[in-house]
Amino acid sequence: MDGDSLKTKELESVVVTATRNERTLGLLPMPVSLIPKSTINIMGSLRLNDVLTEQTGLVVVPQVNGQGNGIQLQGLNPDYTLILVDGEPIIGRYTGSLELSRIAVGNIKQIEIVKGPSSSLYGSDALAGVINIITEKPKGTKVTTALRYGTNNTLDANADLSLTKGKLGVYVFGNRYHTDGYDLSPQNYGQTVSPFTNYTLNSRINYKINSSTDLNMTGRFFTEDQVFRFEVESNGNFTRTAGNGNTHDWNFNPVLTHRFSNRFKTAVRFYTTRYKTETNLSLPDGSPYYRDDFKQTFTRPEVNAEYFFNDRNILTLGAGHIKETVQTSRYGDAQVREQETSYGFFQHEWQPYEKLSIIAGGRQDHNSVYGSQFSPKLSSRYEINKKLTLKISGGRGFKAPDFRQVYFNFNNSAGGGYSVLGTEVAASRLAELDAAGQIDAYLFDPALLGQLQAERSFAINAGAQATLCQSLTMDVNIFHNSINNLIETQAVAITKSGQSIYSYRNIQRAYTQGLESNFAYPVAKHLSLSIGYQLLYAKDKDVAKSVRDGNVYARDPSTLVTQRLKPSEYFGLYNRSRHTGNVKLFYSNKEKGLEASLRVIYRGKYGIGDIRGNIQGEVVPSSDLNSNSILDTDDNFVQGYFLTNISVAKIWKPGIRTQVGIDNLFNHTEPIFIPNLPGRLLYASVSYSISQKNVKQ
Amino acid sequence: MAVGFVGCNEDVATVPVASIRVDNLTADPTTGFNPNTGAPIGTTGKFTFFSFKTGQVVPDSASTSWDLGFRATTIIVNSPTSGPGTTQAQIVSGIFDEILEAPLDGYKSDNKNAVIKNAIPTGAGNGWYTAEGGGPSSPTIIRPIAGKVIIVKTTEGRYAKLEILSYYKDAPANLTGTEPSRYYTFRYVFQPGDTRSFNQ
Repeated sequence: MDGDSLKTKELESVVVTATRNERTLGLLPMPVSLIPKSTINIMGSLRLNDVLTEQTGLVVVPQVNGQGNGIQLQGLNPDYTLILVDGEPIIGRYTGSLELSRIAVGNIKQIEIVKGPSSSLYGSDALAGVINIITEKPKGTKVTTALRYGTNNTLDANADLSLTKGKLGVYVFGNRYHTDGYDLSPQNYGQTVSPFTNYTLNSRINYKINSSTDLNMTGRFFTEDQVFRFEVESNGNFTRTAGNGNTHDWNFNPVLTHRFSNRFKTAVRFYTTRYKTETNLSLPDGSPYYRDDFKQTFTRPEVNAEYFFNDRNILTLGAGHIKETVQTSRYGDAQVREQETSYGFFQHEWQPYEKLSIIAGGRQDHNSVYGSQFSPKLSSRYEINKKLTLKISGGRGFKAPDFRQVYFNFNNSAGGGYSVLGTEVAASRLAELDAAGQIDAYLFDPALLGQLQAERSFAINAGAQATLCQSLTMDVNIFHNSINNLIETQAVAITKSGQSIYSYRNIQRAYTQGLESNFAYPVAKHLSLSIGYQLLYAKDKDVAKSVRDGNVYARDPSTLVTQRLKPSEYFGLYNRSRHTGNVKLFYSNKEKGLEASLRVIYRGKYGIGDIRGNIQGEVVPSSDLNSNSILDTDDNFVQGYFLTNISVAKIWKPGIRTQVGIDNLFNHTEPIFIPNLPGRLLYASVSYSISQKNVKQ
Repeated sequence: MAVGFVGCNEDVATVPVASIRVDNLTADPTTGFNPNTGAPIGTTGKFTFFSFKTGQVVPDSASTSWDLGFRATTIIVNSPTSGPGTTQAQIVSGIFDEILEAPLDGYKSDNKNAVIKNAIPTGAGNGWYTAEGGGPSSPTIIRPIAGKVIIVKTTEGRYAKLEILSYYKDAPANLTGTEPSRYYTFRYVFQPGDTRSFNQ
C-alpha cells in the first residue's frame, strides 16, 4: 500500500476467471475486479454477502420472499450471475438465486469478479457476469485459529491448517457460525431473521505426482440449521407455528493437470455436488402444518487444454458434460427430474502488436430441455500509452429455464389464491381441471405455451483505464445489456372459484445500461482512498415503447384525473437504483502493525415492486400509486440510504491479530422494505497463527 | 349593404355532453370474511343494475332498461346470456375526455358459451382492473387501470362512455387493500341522441 494505491497492486495481480487460465488482471480486455484476502480481513466480513455488498456495481438484494441475499450485477437479477468456488458452481438456487451467506470467507484467498456476459466460457447463468471465489492453497506449514463475537450473539469460529511436505500439500479449513438472528419488527410474533447455526468444512490436497503432473482435490461440506417461529394469517385467523429448516451441501472436485511441454498444458476436472434443503413447521399442538423440501445434484466431468503457439498466440479448448437432477415436493410429486448438457468451448488470445491484444471465443451448449445455445465473445484491449488503456468487450450470454419454470405445480390458497404451473405440467393440469368443470375462463390458449427457451442477452462493455497525476488511477466502464426471451409469468386461466392460474412464457425484453467508474488514490503514505459510482438504467423494452407511443396512462390518486405518461416519467424495473456508490479509506501501516478502514456505501432510491408480502405482520405499501402497473416517478419508492462501516485492527507479534469494528454505524434500518439489513452490528475478533520458520512461500 | 350571416352551425363551438359522476355504487359489498374458508360474508350474490338513460339503479333485472350490472369486480352487460336486452360493450384505451366519439364496431356481448364469456373481460389485468398483492402482508388491491374507458352501446342503440375511478368506498387516495371494497366510483357520459358523437 505504501506509495502505490490498492488499485495499482490490483492491476498486477493474477486472475484466472476471465480466460480460465492465469493472466495478469491489468492486461485483460474485459472489466475484472479483484478483492484480495487482505481487504476482506480489514473489512471484517464474515460471509460472502458482506464482502460483495461493498463493491461498486454490485448490490445485495433480498431474495423472493424477502429472506436471504442475492447479488444484482449491472442491474440484472441474482439469477443471472454465476457464482463459482475455484471454478465450479455452487448449486441450490431453489428460488432462482443463490443464498450468499452459505459461503464463509475465512478460507478465501481472493474473489475475482468478471462483468459482462461470460457464457462463452461458463455457459448458462453467466449472463451478467461471473464471481469466482478462489480458496486458499496449502502453503508452508501453518495453523490459524480465529474467533469473532458480535451483536445478536453472533459467534464465528475458524480454524485452518496448512501442511506441506515434499510433494504433498494439505489445507483444511473449518468454520462454525452462529447467530441469534434479529428482529426489526418486535411488535410482531417471530423474528425477521431466525436464529441459525452453520458449519463449513473445506479441504484441499495437492499432490505433485511428478514435475509436470499435479493432482489437486478439494472437498466441501456445509450444514445449516435454522429455528423458525412464524405467525401465519389466513382469512383473519392467526396461527402460531414453529419449526426448523435444514440445509446442507457437499462437493468433491479432483483436478489433474499435466504439462506435456512448455507450450501445452491440459487439465481434467471432475465435479460432483449435492444440495438439500428442508423446512418443517408444526402447529402448537404438534401436528404438522407445512413441509417443504428440495434436493439438487450436479455432476460434471470436463477436459481442457491450453496451447501456446508462441507468446502472442494462445489457444484454449475445452469440453464437458453436465448432469443435473432436482427432486422436490413443490413440483407436485416426488419424481426426480433430470437435465443433461453437453458443451464445448474455444478461446484464442492474440496479441498482434505489443499494445493491442484480442481475445475471441465461443461456447456451444446442447441441453435436453432448451436445445442449443451458441455464446460468442470478442474482447480487445489497446494500450495507448503507459497511462491510458482502452478496452472493449461484446458477447452473448444465456440462462437456461429454471427447474421451477418447467416443473412447478404450486398452489397458494391463502388470500386471493393462485396457482403456478410450469410449462411441462401446465397442459395436463389444465386439462384435468377443465374435465372436472373447474375452469371459468381461459385467458390464454394453453396450446401456445410450448417449450420454454433459454433467456438470452447480448452485451457490450467499453471502458478506459487511466493513471492520472501522482498515482491517481481511474477506470470507467460503460455497459449495455440487451436481454430477450425473459421468462415471465403469464395468466392462463381463471377457475370457477376466482383463482388465477399462471404459467411461464418467454415474453419479456429488457435492457440495462449505464456507467461504472472507480477512482483510487494513495492519499498519504499508509492511507488509500477509493471512490466508486454506478449509474444504471434498467427498463422493460416493450413498456418503454408503449410509453413512447403514448399508450401508457397514469391516474392521480387524489384528483382521479388520468393523463398520458411521459417517457421521462418511466423509471424502469423495480428494485434497481439509478445511483449507487461507495467511498472507502484504508489505512495500513505494517511497521506499527496497524490497520483501519472506513467505508461508506450508498444505495439510491428504488422501486418497491415484488418485495411486498415479505415481512411478518406488517402491511407492505404497494408501489403503484397511479394505477398503471409500471414503475414511474410518481410511485412509491424505498428511500436511498447510506451505510457506514468502520474497523480497526492491531497486529501483535508473534502472529496475533485483534480487530474491532462497527457495521452500519448509524443503525439504518428499513424493517418493511429491507429485511436483510440488520441494525448496527458491533464486533471484536482475535486470530492467532503459528507457522513453521524457513518455509518456502 | 353586406349583411353577415349569423347562426351557421360551423361557427358554433362544439360542447361535449357533460359527464356525470356516480359515487359509491354498491356492488354486493361484504360485511366481513369467514375466518375458516376466506369466503365473503354478508353478500347476496346479486348484481346491482344501472341504467345510463336514467342515471339510476334499476331494481328489476328482467327488464331491458338496465345497461350494466355490477357485482364485485364483474361487470355484465344486458345481453344475451346475462339479460333480456342487446347491450354491448368494449374497452378502449385513451383519456376519457379525449374520446369524442364512440367507435363504429368492436362491440362484444356477454356469451356464456364463448371462450371469453364477458364483453368486459373478467380477471385481473384482462379487463378494467389490476389486482396487486394477495397474501397475508399484502391484501389484494384492486385498481382501475389508468387509461381504460368502457364504451357501451345500449339496447336502444345509444352510446355511453364510462371510466371507473375507484373500487373502494369514498375513493381513498392511498390504498392498503383493507378499505371497504365493492363500492364503485365512476363517471360517464351518455349520448341520448342518435349519434356516436359525445358532443351535444
